[in-house]
Amino acid sequence: MPVEALSQLAEIARLTTFSMTPLLLAAIGEIITELAGVVNIGLEGIMLLAGFAAVAAAEAWGPLAGLLAGVLVGTLIGLLHGWISVYLKGDQIISGLGINIFALGFVAFGIEALWGVRGYYTPPPEAKVPRIPGLGVSPTFIAAIVIALVSYYVLYKTGIGLKIRAVGEKPDAAESVGVHVERVQLAATVAGAALSGLAGAFLSIDWLAAITKELPAGRGFIALAIVNFANWNPILALAGSGLFGFFWTLGEWVKNIGTIKAVIPIPLLNTIPYVATLVVTAGLIGKSRPPAHIGRPYRRE
Amino acid sequence: MELQECKPIVEMKNIVKVYLDGTVALRGVDFDVCPGEVHALLGENGAGKTTLMKILAGVLKPTSGEIVLEGKHVRFSSSADALSKGIGMVHQHPALVPVFTAYENIVLGAYRPGARAEIEKLMEETGLKVPLDAPVESLPLGIQQKVEILKMLYRRVKVLILDEPTTNLSPLETRELFRVLRSLRSRGAAIVFISHKLREVLEVADRITVLRKGVKVGTVSAEEATPTLLAKMMVGREVEMVVSKPRVALGEELLVVRDLWVRSDLGTWAVKGVSFSVRAGEIFGIAGVEGNGQKELVEAISGLRRAEKGKIVIGGIDVTNKHPLEVYAAGLAHIPEDRQRYGLVLEMTVAENAILGVQRSPRFQQPPIMKIKWSEVFSHAREIIKNFNVQVPGLTAKAKTLSGGNQQKLVVGRELTKKPRVLLAVNPTRGLDVAATEYIQNLLASLKEKGIAILLVSSNLDEVLQLSDRVAVIYEGEFMGVARPEELTEELLGLMMGGYSLDKAREVLSRKTT
Repeated sequence: MPVEALSQLAEIARLTTFSMTPLLLAAIGEIITELAGVVNIGLEGIMLLAGFAAVAAAEAWGPLAGLLAGVLVGTLIGLLHGWISVYLKGDQIISGLGINIFALGFVAFGIEALWGVRGYYTPPPEAKVPRIPGLGVSPTFIAAIVIALVSYYVLYKTGIGLKIRAVGEKPDAAESVGVHVERVQLAATVAGAALSGLAGAFLSIDWLAAITKELPAGRGFIALAIVNFANWNPILALAGSGLFGFFWTLGEWVKNIGTIKAVIPIPLLNTIPYVATLVVTAGLIGKSRPPAHIGRPYRRE
Repeated sequence: MELQECKPIVEMKNIVKVYLDGTVALRGVDFDVCPGEVHALLGENGAGKTTLMKILAGVLKPTSGEIVLEGKHVRFSSSADALSKGIGMVHQHPALVPVFTAYENIVLGAYRPGARAEIEKLMEETGLKVPLDAPVESLPLGIQQKVEILKMLYRRVKVLILDEPTTNLSPLETRELFRVLRSLRSRGAAIVFISHKLREVLEVADRITVLRKGVKVGTVSAEEATPTLLAKMMVGREVEMVVSKPRVALGEELLVVRDLWVRSDLGTWAVKGVSFSVRAGEIFGIAGVEGNGQKELVEAISGLRRAEKGKIVIGGIDVTNKHPLEVYAAGLAHIPEDRQRYGLVLEMTVAENAILGVQRSPRFQQPPIMKIKWSEVFSHAREIIKNFNVQVPGLTAKAKTLSGGNQQKLVVGRELTKKPRVLLAVNPTRGLDVAATEYIQNLLASLKEKGIAILLVSSNLDEVLQLSDRVAVIYEGEFMGVARPEELTEELLGLMMGGYSLDKAREVLSRKTT
């Protein structure tokens, strides 16, 4: 039955456009941030907070407002993380960890406070981002592809990109030719977090149409792995997100096959995308080259 | 001796610099430079040359004094500020982004349309040829320096400051640099050339200003300057830097290296089949431009880096690829290249540093819980300080509070107190003042009488030639030849350091004379 197999493949591809989008957006954001020398491991928390805000905004003013709310939340957290990392010279890992922990507690509380339900809330259908007619994919997916291509061009082909990467590689050299190191780092941190915010909004009002405190489900951390996998190149991040997104879809798809479900317990099948992440990234250790001054605050002599 | 034949583009008046820790680096120095001249700033380490120029380039702020640029008083808030006003400095360590290409480094922060054509034109006009699309980390230091100069020219600097630009260059690269400087001078650039090398200063400068201990000794024109005059101005006395070299009967071979192959951090061959031996009472010198495998050779001998092939024997014991502890137990002492990184723990006290490496000795530990016997540690430290004339504020002062010379004496004292059979000394006088240098060099010479075999690895040619009984020149991991210092003329050395074998170099020179 080749026709049926083909349509099954097409469906897996279509579903992959959803599973890869949040990974791609968050990974591109983190690439921008890390190229400027700042690490933000709070992607997971940003996605969660942004996803929550997106549901609330979309319910009130429609899906576009929801997406914007997600971006806004990302921007604000980016400002906070940037301020701590760049200007206060704080520990970037601890700040990122703080974002993640705060998000877990806040969103669990927020869902109950706002909608009076415990743990899980589904927004009405009109709050959801519509699909592109005929293709059945989300406009956010198209936007994410465009963002990836534009990011590549800006980061690797323009003077602005040169400044961003110089700051992450050798800030003193950048400063000596008049680049404002701290300003560039803050801007890159905010831009990166804003993209993670968009990823969170996509999860809650576009793809899954639900908010729970497990919404990101580790995607923020997989995005961090993709950054490494892609060697800080947005084009490769596109490929990486496609790959990891595919594993995600595969995991879901396999669960629907009766014969497999009978042999392997579902919770084990659920681990497929995470195990795939481990295997792929373990094979990559030492092969990618991070920005030389990553994770360390810049201090003048 | 004041000259005023030209119209200065920038003048520094009565510059004083006191560092936060109270060190007075400059005590009221005047300096100026004119368009179309090379003005050399000459002085020993610590004379204040670099400090003065860092002030001119906006890196440091003067404690007092003023800077007049093209008739206007200026105050620079940063090096970027000075750069935008036309003053650029090429530091000893290039301020380049290693993974960026030469082109990217040049346009960073100053991109304008047509940049590439502009840079290519600059390269054409000045003879500063660099591969624009290669990452600078893959380029030799000499080329990186050219990238830095191009970066400054692209930003249209009027004053170009070069801080000891020839330190890591081969003689050939140095000549190339001087050719470029002359071409820039003819284009009207004002160039400041910081150096402590008399010969270079005499070759390239139009005027020479000498600093000593933060004071300007004087300015002379190149015509009236002679090596003896400059040396006198620099040091304040006529120095005979000749170390008495005792002749001692040589004993057994204490250090033997046979066909040693070592890889660099990048996995390439850094040492390619080097063989030599050092006998008791002998100083064997290894000269060469830095980065030709010296570091890897030294690390292999001291057990810090794997020897892929070959053999290292110390005092009859095979120590190839043995743990450093076993190597030291075989009788090796090591005065490392970078005393602040490998020789001392700067945050620890003088006394603690004095027992580093021998702290396991029962003399310093009290069983059963191995409590440190501080009284023993202090008496050991006191002994070193007395025998090696180390000036310290106290035994419990942190090592970082000592001057460079005293830090080095502490390291040397500690290593020699281990009663070694083989001493590995790497650039032992780098960064030291004249007195400390003399002390260390005389000490090394005197060790020969104690029957110690010394391997001296140094990029300071004079030092290697004066101290060594035999000298090898290393180039890209291979010995270009081994000879007694008397046999090695300057030209021969220059050729060998540039990759000619001893025989080949002799041939080249004889062809030239006939």
